[in-house]
Amino acid sequence: MRPTPVHLSGKIVRALLRALALVAVVATLWPSYAAALPTFNRQTGQNCQACHAGGQFPELTPYGRLFKLTGYTLGERTLPFSAMAVVSDSKVSNTTKSDDPKADFQKNNSLIFTGASAFAAGKITDNIGAFLQVTYDNYAAQSDDGKFHGHTSADNMDIRYADRSIDASHDLIWGISANNNPSVSDVWNTAAAWMQYVPVPSPTSSRFIDGNAPYPGLAAGGNIAGLTAYAYWNQMLYVEVGGYRTAKGVASFMSAGVAEGDKTKLKGTNPYWRATLTHEWGPHNIMVGTSGMIADVFDDPLDTSDLSSVHHFRDIGVDSQYQYLLDPHTVTVQLAYTRDRHRVPGFLADQPVADINGDPLPNTNASDKVNVFRAKGSYIYEAKYGTSLAFFNQTGTSDSALYDPTRVQGNISGNPAVRGWTSEAFWTPIQNIRLGLQYTVYDKYNGASHNYDGFGRNASDNNSLFFYVWGAY
Amino acid sequence: MNTQRLTLLAVMIGMAAGCANEPRSRDIANPNVSGETLALQVCSNCHGATGNSKSPNFPNLAGQQEVYVVAQLSGFKAHSRQDPAGFEYMWGISHNLTDKQIQELAAHFAAEKPERQRIEGKPERIAAGKTIFTGGIPDKGIPPCASCHGPEGNGNATFPRIAGQHADYLVKQLTVFQRTNDRPEGSVMKTVAHELTHENIENVAAYLQAVPNQ
Repeated sequence: MRPTPVHLSGKIVRALLRALALVAVVATLWPSYAAALPTFNRQTGQNCQACHAGGQFPELTPYGRLFKLTGYTLGERTLPFSAMAVVSDSKVSNTTKSDDPKADFQKNNSLIFTGASAFAAGKITDNIGAFLQVTYDNYAAQSDDGKFHGHTSADNMDIRYADRSIDASHDLIWGISANNNPSVSDVWNTAAAWMQYVPVPSPTSSRFIDGNAPYPGLAAGGNIAGLTAYAYWNQMLYVEVGGYRTAKGVASFMSAGVAEGDKTKLKGTNPYWRATLTHEWGPHNIMVGTSGMIADVFDDPLDTSDLSSVHHFRDIGVDSQYQYLLDPHTVTVQLAYTRDRHRVPGFLADQPVADINGDPLPNTNASDKVNVFRAKGSYIYEAKYGTSLAFFNQTGTSDSALYDPTRVQGNISGNPAVRGWTSEAFWTPIQNIRLGLQYTVYDKYNGASHNYDGFGRNASDNNSLFFYVWGAY
Repeated sequence: MNTQRLTLLAVMIGMAAGCANEPRSRDIANPNVSGETLALQVCSNCHGATGNSKSPNFPNLAGQQEVYVVAQLSGFKAHSRQDPAGFEYMWGISHNLTDKQIQELAAHFAAEKPERQRIEGKPERIAAGKTIFTGGIPDKGIPPCASCHGPEGNGNATFPRIAGQHADYLVKQLTVFQRTNDRPEGSVMKTVAHELTHENIENVAAYLQAVPNQ
């Protein structure tokens, strides 16, 4: 594959330089040990890098994992509020193969205020702690006159009860988590809820950035309500099991702000499980794990009267993470693979589909399989200068239901394959701010390398550059 | 639904108001939590339950001199020890410790048995380190480490145990002593370390990690 190069325009270069200059000034003036820190820092009094590997939030160090598994209760009760905000700029390589570039690539090559999150997080009692995130999306919706409108809704939420029995010969941490996103309770960065880490802007110019490329995940997604129980024995074996339901009643706050039509409505209680083996030696630690979920998701969130109108998903994943943490070096290697089996509701199976010329295609499938593999390696020096390289590969069964003869986002093969690479360089001048530059290249998109949409658009036309500034306080 | 929400809120406020679990607390600002509990529930996350840490980022504390640990924790708390490992990890953790907790923490780790460490340096490096440890470098006026830290490196009161310490940690701390004033209580080490080359430091650290624990 020969990726199409993306050239930085003068506009993006100027924006980049302005942002760099601003950060450089702040970094110079900031004391080496920042006095004002986000809520967990205030609670423990420690730097971000104590819990986050090389300071690259949200990936956790062994210490950070223990902090989370013990229910965010280590430290002292303090003002439990934090905030973060993201400014970003996305640029798609080729915007010419489109009927309406302004709609297909909104805010392309424009520095935008992407959104922000507010957190209420930290220790509540000796055994209870919480991590509650509410996120404002500055580009959540667009009205007919083209104006964007912001919207705020519940994001990741995790409320825990945890206890720990430990002496010289044994260590058992156990707890219960009430959360709204399967695997958000997890402590390894290869978990579905955490591997994709940079907030993704909503304008369509960001549709091809790494955050929107395939990540191993769980089909049920977030904003549902679950209760899981977990145990971590001798820092070697971790097991977690739980169930998820539609967020309603006392748990309705877990989907607060999400439009009724956008909610995931689940039939009954849907099981989730997770098991890992971990080992730490010297500056090295490794995890090998598996996770999965079986979920029945209503096709229409606004009409859940017909119990047979559900999509049945069975997701099973395996993942592994290796870390080398020895100041000033941080090395991380992550591997994750999920197999998703999706059985569609009866009324959507075996349906006739015609192509753009009116010629019949095979009827739609009763079930599909999608496999996603992602590998990522990263290196960070002095918790400041980092680089990473990731590979992603999504494969699956062809299904006429995926046939979509529209420009840019279309799919004429009916195959879900997407494959590519993302490289990233980032700089954390002070522990509260990260600047990152990602470049994602595709050699397959929507099932093909060339002409995947039927209008001449190639996978490499979607290659995207993404610049972000991410701050937390 | 409002009743349910109010009940949930009341329960959460009730839990927040009390429910201290002092025998297994991780609260670093509660003076009623014993040093023993803090050692197991908090310190163990980095230093190991017995003071034998896995990661060389964090020093082994098992068998460490009690007086020395008290001095270091007090130094972290008072912000007089300012090396990066100190302020990044230890300032906040030690901020609210009482004198009693500090004493109990020091006693806990002093009573633990050090584990043998992996031998990582080449034999020549370890031998060169042993020469410095036992005989110093007379040409440069560098005294033997053993003269203060004891013939086995077990330390004595304010002089810490350095036998069986992670080599990487020793290299970093010797560098701190040599190049900074971040550890003023260890100013005697600034004089000692001043003439050490990086090779000298690597050698003596490799020897000390390898030296059999007594």
